[in-house]
Amino acid sequence: MALKYVEEYRDGTLARDLVKKIHSVSKKKLRLMEVCGTHTTSIFRHGIRSVLPKGITLLSGPGCPVCVTAQKDIDAFVAFARVKNVIVTTFGDLMKVPGSSSSLTKEKACGADVRIVYSVFDAVNIARENKDKEVVFCGVGFETTIPTIAAGILMGIEGKLDNFSIYSANKLTPPALAALMETDGVQIDGFILPGHVSVITGTDAYRGTFEKYDIPSVIAGFEPIDILQAILLLIQQNEAGKPALENAYPRAVSHAGNVKAKQIMNQVFEVCNASWRGIGQIPSSGMELKKEYQRFDAAIKFAMDMPDVPEPKGCACGQILMGLKTPEECVLYKKKCTPMNPVGPCMVSSEGSCAAFYRYS
Amino acid sequence: MTEEKILLDHGSGGKVSHSMFSDIILPLFENPELSKQDDGAVLDVKGTKLAFSTDSYVVDPIFFPGGNIGDLAVNGTINDISMCGANPEFISVGLILEEGLPIKDFKLILETMAAAAKKAGVKIVTGDTKVVPKGKADKIFINTSGIGVIPPNVNVSGSNAKPGDKIIISGTLADHGITVLSTREGLKFDSDIKTDSAPLNKMVQSIIQSNCDVHVLRDPTRGGLGTTLNEIASQSKVSIKIDEQSLPIRGPVQGVCELLGFDPLYIANEGKLIAFVPQKDAQKILEIIQQDEFGKDAVIIGEVIDKDPGKVFLQTNIGGLRIIDMLSGEQLPRIC
Ligand code: SF4
Repeated sequence: MALKYVEEYRDGTLARDLVKKIHSVSKKKLRLMEVCGTHTTSIFRHGIRSVLPKGITLLSGPGCPVCVTAQKDIDAFVAFARVKNVIVTTFGDLMKVPGSSSSLTKEKACGADVRIVYSVFDAVNIARENKDKEVVFCGVGFETTIPTIAAGILMGIEGKLDNFSIYSANKLTPPALAALMETDGVQIDGFILPGHVSVITGTDAYRGTFEKYDIPSVIAGFEPIDILQAILLLIQQNEAGKPALENAYPRAVSHAGNVKAKQIMNQVFEVCNASWRGIGQIPSSGMELKKEYQRFDAAIKFAMDMPDVPEPKGCACGQILMGLKTPEECVLYKKKCTPMNPVGPCMVSSEGSCAAFYRYS
Repeated sequence: MTEEKILLDHGSGGKVSHSMFSDIILPLFENPELSKQDDGAVLDVKGTKLAFSTDSYVVDPIFFPGGNIGDLAVNGTINDISMCGANPEFISVGLILEEGLPIKDFKLILETMAAAAKKAGVKIVTGDTKVVPKGKADKIFINTSGIGVIPPNVNVSGSNAKPGDKIIISGTLADHGITVLSTREGLKFDSDIKTDSAPLNKMVQSIIQSNCDVHVLRDPTRGGLGTTLNEIASQSKVSIKIDEQSLPIRGPVQGVCELLGFDPLYIANEGKLIAFVPQKDAQKILEIIQQDEFGKDAVIIGEVIDKDPGKVFLQTNIGGLRIIDMLSGEQLPRIC
């Protein structure tokens, strides 16, 4: 049928051939981790786990930006929503994440002005149209999102918007991989590296981690064929005992990445330590506004310094992000914690592994 | 903060709406007609079987490519009645207008409603209009109700699906939801995405008059195909398996879904039906649907199977198998 959307990278026959190949080369038991929420969703949506050999376990690592956001950052978003005259702008996935006492969804139902945006530019426009209000953007993202947030700040300067600010809970991927490798008990035989993030960072960003830990690493795109291809390469590397850093997404990812995006990002932000949910502080894994841009820092502007708070009792998000547990091993899973009544962010975000387990298996 | 409030989720048509219905609404109104939970109520009035249904429309924006809130409201009720196997005949219209709505827009919406009713062969026979101060509603909200007669030998219901039934969809998925969303978000796609809003009464009448067996008819509106299939699976206590490769989705619609991270299985349709029919009649009914003005792209997308009652499975393009759950959480508020 002419109407039907058939993408080259969704081709069923090609995919089935790849699956056959995977079955024929796979001998060892392996634990492979994807570190990208879009990969997680794609793996579940296309039923990739169900076609792999029994010995291959896929783990969903810290790749969903909402899932790795610390409780105190969620509390800060809620606190902004309670400030009079503030419009909080956020990606939809953050809305329902429960903070210590409330969520943005609940604040909205109580009358707070919380608006879902698709990018920071929407937030800038809202600031432009509401000069009598303060607009705070909840900055939650990886290398893919940070350059656009930086561009948003530059737009704010150009538009002379002094009513626009961001709260940066942004994070960097490579330091998280290194932190995982250093964690006791973590057992990973290969990384499926994120496609979008790598478009910005380039392959070279992972070289340090790869060389230090000698861990099979393959950059993958998001279609089923991309992911199956990456899995095949990781299995082959493991079977041959020859770890490599490979780029299985060359149609989008280069060695150096997107130089211009990195320039903008580094113009506005600088590297800082960051708290990752369930994992804790990871050195040099976050990005904060440079001194000259601090007037756009919502935390400074509103003197918002939230206390560190423990994550909800029983929630195993952190261990799940490190591949130490599966969602089904969390005592709250499907009982107290469901997408309607989420306890942790992994159940809220459409890219979270608990939500994906709940929805698709 | 502990006081519970209505959230947008309660209107999603998914899990939260369902639990609101069964926990709050149903216990208070309990009666056999309501308990059936079909698209409309089936009533026995002195030996005549009537289908009666109501629906409110709050779509934002009120104008979008291919239609507006007016024909959406008329077609929506026509379709709800049709899905009971009835031929819709009479419709009521309740209008809630916000002070300041341009008369020009108001007239245009009413003209579209009149045209939609005429096209479908139904009469708008009663109505009501209220105006509220600016800011107390958003431009215009419309409620429509309707009734139609169900022929004596017809018995279609979401609880009639049987193992072995084939499942037909009358055309492409997700057109309406994606149209409204992209209009609302000001996304400029140079493509012909438009709503599929259409009256399905003639298609249903042709199916019924064919004397073929039909077990279930449903229009997968709010909550999309995924949610509707889950409703049927649980009403009929059967399991459903859908083949991803067979799902008809327009390229541009799929493109927007990919871009914004929406799953077309959960996006609203306003001019599509799904029919559960015994295998022996499947081909014939498919052809009847394909001959209808609004059914050219109809295909068989799956079947009812015997194991795991209440569950809906998707056989993916790559040969994998996964669950299709009911929509949980609001994807898109105010889509209809
Ligand atoms: S199931 Fe809920 S409580 Fe358990 S880890 Fe996942 S999000 Fe946390």
